[in-house]
Amino acid sequence: MPAADRREVIFRVRGLTKVYGEGTAQVRALDGVDLDLHEGELVVLLGQSGSGKTTLLNQLGGLDIPTAGELLYRDTDLTHATEHQLTEFRRDSVGFIFQFYNLIPSLTARENVGLITEIARDPMPAETALEMVGLGARLDHFPAQLSGGEQQRVAIARAIAKRPEVLLCDEPTGALDVRTGIVVLEALERANRELGTLTVLITHNAVMAEMADRVIYFSDGRVHHERRNAVRAAPATLNW
Amino acid sequence: MLSHLDRKLLRDLRRLKGQAAAVSLVMACGLAMLIMARSLIHSLESTRAEYYQTNHFAEVFAPLKRAPNHLAEQIRAIPGVATAQTDLSVPVTLDLPGITEPASGAVRSLPDFGEPELNRLFLRRGRWLPPGSRGEVLVGEAFAKANALNPGDTLTMLLNGRRQAFLIAGIVLSPEYIFESRPGAALPDSRTYGIFWMPYKEVATAWDLYGAFNRLSLTLAPGANERPIIVELDRLLRPYGGLGAFGRKDHPSHIRVTDEIRVLTILSIGFPIVFLSVAAFMTNAVLTRLLALQREQIAILKAFGFTNRSIVAHYLKFAFVMVIAGVMLGLIGGMALGTKLVMMYELFFKFPDLHFRLDGHAVAIALGVGLGAVTLGVLDSVHRAARLPPADAMRPEPPAHFRPAFIERLGLARLLSHSFRIAVRNLERRPTQAFFTVAGLALATALLILPNTFKAGIHEVLDFQWDVVQRQDLNLGLVEPSSARLAHELEKLPGVTSLEPSRFAAVRIHFQGRSRQIGLRSLLAGGLHARAVDHAGREISPPTDGVILSAKLATVLGAKVGDTLLLEALEGRRPVAAVKLRALAEDFTGIAAYMELHALNRFLGEGDVITGATIGLDMSRRTEFLAALREIPRVATVAIKETMRQSFRETTAKSMGLIQSVYLTFAVIVAFGVIYNNARISLAERARELATLRVVGMTQREVGAVLVVELVILALLAVPLGLLMGTGLTTLIIGSVNTETVRIPLVFTTYTYSFAVVVVIIASTLSALVVLRKLNQLDLLAALKAPE
Repeated sequence: MPAADRREVIFRVRGLTKVYGEGTAQVRALDGVDLDLHEGELVVLLGQSGSGKTTLLNQLGGLDIPTAGELLYRDTDLTHATEHQLTEFRRDSVGFIFQFYNLIPSLTARENVGLITEIARDPMPAETALEMVGLGARLDHFPAQLSGGEQQRVAIARAIAKRPEVLLCDEPTGALDVRTGIVVLEALERANRELGTLTVLITHNAVMAEMADRVIYFSDGRVHHERRNAVRAAPATLNW
Repeated sequence: MLSHLDRKLLRDLRRLKGQAAAVSLVMACGLAMLIMARSLIHSLESTRAEYYQTNHFAEVFAPLKRAPNHLAEQIRAIPGVATAQTDLSVPVTLDLPGITEPASGAVRSLPDFGEPELNRLFLRRGRWLPPGSRGEVLVGEAFAKANALNPGDTLTMLLNGRRQAFLIAGIVLSPEYIFESRPGAALPDSRTYGIFWMPYKEVATAWDLYGAFNRLSLTLAPGANERPIIVELDRLLRPYGGLGAFGRKDHPSHIRVTDEIRVLTILSIGFPIVFLSVAAFMTNAVLTRLLALQREQIAILKAFGFTNRSIVAHYLKFAFVMVIAGVMLGLIGGMALGTKLVMMYELFFKFPDLHFRLDGHAVAIALGVGLGAVTLGVLDSVHRAARLPPADAMRPEPPAHFRPAFIERLGLARLLSHSFRIAVRNLERRPTQAFFTVAGLALATALLILPNTFKAGIHEVLDFQWDVVQRQDLNLGLVEPSSARLAHELEKLPGVTSLEPSRFAAVRIHFQGRSRQIGLRSLLAGGLHARAVDHAGREISPPTDGVILSAKLATVLGAKVGDTLLLEALEGRRPVAAVKLRALAEDFTGIAAYMELHALNRFLGEGDVITGATIGLDMSRRTEFLAALREIPRVATVAIKETMRQSFRETTAKSMGLIQSVYLTFAVIVAFGVIYNNARISLAERARELATLRVVGMTQREVGAVLVVELVILALLAVPLGLLMGTGLTTLIIGSVNTETVRIPLVFTTYTYSFAVVVVIIASTLSALVVLRKLNQLDLLAALKAPE
């Protein structure tokens, strides 16, 4: 058995199904997904548009309720959680990173992170989180004064500042050029390595799979196959 | 068949229906006021004009003591006089069954045969007096209604001291008494004061006036000038105790209707302006938001060849739909309000047939003004959108620029929570939107100040009039000047605890070319009943010579304390004297002049004479007193303070209740609408931001707080501003309502202010709650998608 599997299971996914719409308009976005995700793992989800990656991420992040199947976060059953429990779960355990950064435009970098550390259980100082993503010098800039890559790194700092158990990233480099994208990936990789955070990363870009512990291929709402990298490639060595 | 662009319009409207409705409602408030006020002006003016014309209302009036009927020939010969009519007007007291307190009024004479030429009556019920009738009377409608009198009932009257029962033949209205009240009273008291009509012969016989008249009414030939005719009349009537002729514009009943029209005119201009400005801004905010959302759609439309003009037209249509809805609502509201106010007018004004008449022009004006206001409001942003090059418009708008808010730049940053920062920075970034939300909320607050201040002012007038100035329990008026010995007789009546004699004389006061005709009243040195009080509320002890004038009268004449006025008596031997203006008195109803009793008698040169008395009464012996008073024939009028007070209170409560509820409704609509609009726009513009906050773990309550903090800041700015605005607006409106007949003091109370604050806060809170419920429907997944 590979080493990763001995680590603690954080998400246990069995027969997870998500159906949108009704009747003939029905779409099975997830069609019976079985999956375990472990502590400290860096997992890349690959697949074409509509293959179900984002839907899975939404279920993992407590943004959506599955139609059927089992979804356990440690001992918590997310399929039957209340709105309040889901909010608690997101607040304490999940860090989100979006393709379009989603910073609050009226808050500076430091404040965007501070907004979250204010409500988190055991946060690191906002400044520390921003240092980790290499933005120690741009603490008091507003989003409009930052480049796309910088904005995404603020978003990463915001996500990791609360020391979450899970980092969920939906195409975090999708809106960035290669060079900036690599800087962002480095920040993510560092957070995963230093904080031991389970990191799930969605991408269209097969090259990025090289930096993962495990690569899961999606198609038609199911796990098509998965592979393990013997060695995680450093982001700087990637090229696309 | 709708074009596809119009179909898009309908769907956009459906999506924004809440905000569109808020805009239409605020607009409707202003337009309702406009339509109501203009239509009421139209109703009053046209009804009055028709009434005057149909019933031959005179144009010049002259009261006098007594003149022989043949003098009328001389008057008809004055160039410019078309018709002259003489008749009699005499005071009367009445015994009403079941009511111990006496009523009084005036009896007017009618020709013994045929209809009068001028000031014809309108028969509401019953029948006219048959030619040569005796023992029958026509009763004015206000008095008949207040006392439930019907044709066929009998009425006991004291005519020149003789008690006699009269049969009520009919209930009538007169163009001379559209506003039927005791001379000089601010409000009608129809229960104890009425007007009656009897044949000339009957009145003249009872008063020994046969062959004479004491009232003159004229109409003028077309194009004739009123001024020289009045001068000539005064000259002719002087030997006959002429009390000064006056034109229609000084006719007491005419003035009251004109005053009301003036108030309506102010309402019809001021209110719509304010409401429509707020509505125009709200439209601007809704459309700007819609345009920002639809940048790409606009770009695509342009890319496919739609002209700028058709795009501008498309979005203007959106605004126009809101205006048309606003006008329709305003029309319904204005008509409903107008109909209610017309019913309220029946408390004050007696017309044969006063109906609400919709002023068609007002609806057209409302539509025009509404369209104009929103076009101004949205034209700029619509144009800007249309001018965007298609390629530019297809890119999403760049991220908004922010900077630390002013309050943070002051170094207070550390004190601010994150949600507070988000709120203040957002407000600073959109100062116009913040400004108009503040303006709207302030307007709502301000609206609530007026009715309560009005009410407090009226109470102040009543309290002042009856607790400070006139402290007696009742006023007696004598049929004619009598010897002061009568006072001793009255003093012995049962229940009288104190009595002070009073003298009243018609005079004209001249100062530097200006003059006013007025009743000069006596004050008693050391008197406890009637007093004159200065602006600080201190009693002015009556000087042994000279006069005291109402501050308002002094202003009208342009005189100040120390000036010498010319006092011309209009009765008795008609003496003229130069007197010093000694002090200015504060009073709220009418204009008055006072003189010390003995000084007044010296001036009139008739010896120790009184025309009435003020009485302090042991109220437990009131019935006994009034019964005894009936045996004294020379008493013409009795006015009991408590009764008048009660009646005023009822009348004001009825009219103020309606006005208050109208203002309350408007204020709630504006507060609710403005907050709703602001919060919905914030919610829509920042849906992504707010969804992100939810995704990263904030609760609904915490996300709601971000929006609420913004609203609270706006409200904190708006409410004090609104109180200030309300104070100003109220000062302006009450100031413009004030005339020589009524002046309402400005009485701002803590209650008035607190009431406004509480209502606005409740309305805003409810509105915010409605919007915050939308946070439940916030699509969290939207945060993960590309920005719109």
